[in-house]
Amino acid sequence: MFKFPSALIAAGLLACTTAIAGDFGRAATDAEIAGWDIDIRPDGKGLPVGGATAEEGEGPYEAKCAMCHGSFGEGVDRWPVIAGGGDLDGTDPKKTVGSYWPYASTLWDYINRAMPYPAPQSLTVDEVYGITAYVLYLNDLVDYEWELNQDTFTEVVMPNTDSFFVDTRPDVQNTRCFENCADPASFKIVGVIGGVSPTGHFKEDSGVASSHYGDQPAEEEAGAEKVALSADAMAGESVHQQACLACHGAGIAGAPKTGDKSAWEGRVSQGLATLVDHAINGYQGNNGYMPPKGGRMDLSDEAVAQAVSFMVESSQ
Amino acid sequence: MKAVAEEASALKGQDRREFLRKGLAVAAGVTAGAAAPALAKGNPADMAPNVPSWTKSLGRGVVARPYGRPSDFTDLQRRTVPWLTASPESSISFSPLQDLKGIITPSGLHFERYHGGIPEVNPDSYQLMIHGLVDRPLIFTMEDLLRMPSVSEIRFIECPANGGMEWKGAQMEALQFTHGMISCSEWTGVRLSTLLDYVGVKPEGKWILAEGSDASGMSRSIPMEKALDDAMVCYAQNGEPLRPEQGYPVRLMVPGWEGNVSIKWLRRIEVGDQPWYHREETSKYTDLMPDGRSRKFTFVQEANSVVTNPCPENPIRHKGFIEIEGLAWSGRGTIKAVDLSFDGGVTWKQAEIKGVALPKALTRFSFKTEWNGEEWMLQSRAVDDTGYVQPTLAQLREARGVNSIYHKNSIHTWNVHANGEVHNVQIS
Repeated sequence: MFKFPSALIAAGLLACTTAIAGDFGRAATDAEIAGWDIDIRPDGKGLPVGGATAEEGEGPYEAKCAMCHGSFGEGVDRWPVIAGGGDLDGTDPKKTVGSYWPYASTLWDYINRAMPYPAPQSLTVDEVYGITAYVLYLNDLVDYEWELNQDTFTEVVMPNTDSFFVDTRPDVQNTRCFENCADPASFKIVGVIGGVSPTGHFKEDSGVASSHYGDQPAEEEAGAEKVALSADAMAGESVHQQACLACHGAGIAGAPKTGDKSAWEGRVSQGLATLVDHAINGYQGNNGYMPPKGGRMDLSDEAVAQAVSFMVESSQ
Repeated sequence: MKAVAEEASALKGQDRREFLRKGLAVAAGVTAGAAAPALAKGNPADMAPNVPSWTKSLGRGVVARPYGRPSDFTDLQRRTVPWLTASPESSISFSPLQDLKGIITPSGLHFERYHGGIPEVNPDSYQLMIHGLVDRPLIFTMEDLLRMPSVSEIRFIECPANGGMEWKGAQMEALQFTHGMISCSEWTGVRLSTLLDYVGVKPEGKWILAEGSDASGMSRSIPMEKALDDAMVCYAQNGEPLRPEQGYPVRLMVPGWEGNVSIKWLRRIEVGDQPWYHREETSKYTDLMPDGRSRKFTFVQEANSVVTNPCPENPIRHKGFIEIEGLAWSGRGTIKAVDLSFDGGVTWKQAEIKGVALPKALTRFSFKTEWNGEEWMLQSRAVDDTGYVQPTLAQLREARGVNSIYHKNSIHTWNVHANGEVHNVQIS
């Protein structure tokens, strides 16, 4: 049997012998790779130079994270609880950053790539360090004044790191029995808990919403009832879909739902200029917090104003 | 019958038609049984001896619908369970298994799972970057991928949380919600091994990171052995470009493994010497055990099966002959046999495999019998070509407790009542 010299294998030349002929792709430049290579590993590989304390991260957290995750990481509505938790071996385990996540790098990586939810990859490096530090602080894992940076990163100790082990399945062994395989006298038969299946799809009076937007008619069906929109409002519709709907579609964190006349009446009476000001600069209301531009600082003031017009005119 | 009519009057449009179709059928089964003639559900003016209206006028011509869509009389749709998730952009919908009669899931009915909504990727701007521990870091365009040697394979994709709502007890009174996080398509694209060979993986390259370009930047670590085995970089589903919901223009397809690793809207593959431990392989998609420890890298979807007829959405409407039908699948290989029990697992009979049985693909089974109003505890049990036998719920709970969320592949029970209705129950 033909054998390759081990030196060739080590040099990676073995792979070339099976590679297809032809000219596919082009070299990726260092700058192109740097623009996309955002991943962070537990050993800190990939972390950019920067840093911030939990104290410095508190402001960005309150402005950009707390509306969903809560000021103490307790979670609003069904948004993830990220602090506290535990009882992993109990009947009602609570998996949070502090109680469950094995590596702090995961938190940095995830905040950087996917948060804030409506505006991913919009945070500065120092904001990511600060918010990461603050979430660790909310979990009593670092001090308020301690600075998280590319060098101190590996000092963070996560309590649950050693609790993970590689899959051991198949872990159960059933047999292909055909007769007397179970004792019917010992059967305990339990049916479904009432009211949890979303039968709203079939029955309107089930009390169960058929979509995340509640029982409002789907967009296409509502078309006939749409009011005539101003030019500003029409211009704002696409911004609304991309930037506002995440919260204002389902009424998250106290946000008035787009199209909900009663929720908007009191607000509209304050005048469009006030609403636009709140949307651009942020606003703390009784029921929730509107972050400046909903966290989408990439949007122009004009685009935000147009989106507000769309929401107001669609909610009359 | 009166109750059905009253309920139907509260509905409208498509919902009403659907409810009437199903509700009347149930009512007919309940009150009339097998002896009654088929009830006239349609418009008598269109039924014999009258000549139907569609016969006496011309229909639509060619290309009236350039793409085409199902008949307006059908009601095939993905559905979601809103209370499962906080918002629709990071959520899941379910395939209507109760309405499907093949191993291929129509592309528009493939279950959905997004963590940051569906990105609208322009294929002209599409790039796949492969870098890290490779000899030649390269960027491929759509044109590059389409020129490379391709393969086509029929494979299922299943979310590992399929059935996960039912670890602690039966919750969902519908097949669509108990098992609908699985779909099966013909996938076409380039073997990942072809691409990795082409860029040249360095000997220390043991893992890849696959990353999407969606708003969640979905990322998963995959061992090199699997990457070089049967993973595919796909651009087509059921013969046409991928649907946006399925990763248009390019997704990863990792056969037999939990759906989350088949990264959609694939933008980047990095080769490394160790896993990255990102959110979706630590915080999520790890399986919590009763002792408080957790399994990680629980990739494979073990053998599973479910009866699709009858089921809660498809009650038995007539006494006499019935073809019990269902689906079986295994992420480890090919379904070799499926057994059925009518008494909650005391006795079992072997069903037939229907049509083709392909590895890591949905496989249909069938059992022809009679039903005469007796109560059934109907179960199916899949066996794959590794010899693995689908376990009971009691076995899984004993090994894993009830808090592991993922990979619940236990034998499922439908309770068929004397009136033909079917309910989801658990036997312990």
